[in-house]
Amino acid sequence: MPLNDYLIVAGVLFTIGVAGVLLRRNLIVVYMSLEIMFNAVNLGFVAVSNYLNLVDGVIFVIFIMVVAAAEAAIALGISIALFRVKGTIDIDSFDELKL
Amino acid sequence: MEILFYIFSILIIYSSIMVVASKSPLTSALYLILSFFVLAGFYVILDMQFIAAMQILVYAGAIMVLVVLVIMLLNLEKYKNIKTDMHQKFISGLIFMVLFVEIALFILTGAGRKPTGIFTSEVIKRVGNTQVIGEFLFTKYIFPFEISSILLLVAIIGAYLFAKKRF
Repeated sequence: MPLNDYLIVAGVLFTIGVAGVLLRRNLIVVYMSLEIMFNAVNLGFVAVSNYLNLVDGVIFVIFIMVVAAAEAAIALGISIALFRVKGTIDIDSFDELKL
Repeated sequence: MEILFYIFSILIIYSSIMVVASKSPLTSALYLILSFFVLAGFYVILDMQFIAAMQILVYAGAIMVLVVLVIMLLNLEKYKNIKTDMHQKFISGLIFMVLFVEIALFILTGAGRKPTGIFTSEVIKRVGNTQVIGEFLFTKYIFPFEISSILLLVAIIGAYLFAKKRF
């Protein structure tokens, strides 16, 4: 398959993830849309490094997986702490910093 | 190979749309697991079996178990019917369209670089997938590897502090 087809699929996935982050209000669903965006970037990295006959892109994918695992622990801990304080994880209810 | 690519593309785009569009967070989580498995299939047809196994182990195994556990822990049934206002929908639709056009233009007009590396799929198949990745990870990228271990330690301590009863 040519490289452009993989990049088109990755672009469509990234755009779906952006739409999820902007449109949804549940904190867990926003986090899952972030995971879709991570996965789109991973697909792009692997496709490009397969096309250029390099391995460096695959190493980047491993580091992105490490960051995603750390982010999962932190984000879900934050959502549990917020739920304990507010009783909801609707992101519009966290507006203490609003002027 | 071609037919597999099209099947995987349709499946992953459908499941990602369902992650964003479905009402219940648990349905979103299950569709997200499906999209992780399909992405592992993409890695297999791109000759990266090690990354496919890592994808299933780390994402579909570890991270999604954590997400489903948190959904179970938080009682979200009361907050299902919160509707978004038109203002937010308009602005996010605008951003969405601009981003999509940007990505499409970048892909369609991007300059075609020629392949430069020596790791063609024949070389990777002969040497072995895991060995190639391991050699790169422990020689050229050893410093980011050590840094990522510190990042994981910080994440453990941070998650403990957030989940504690009193700060």
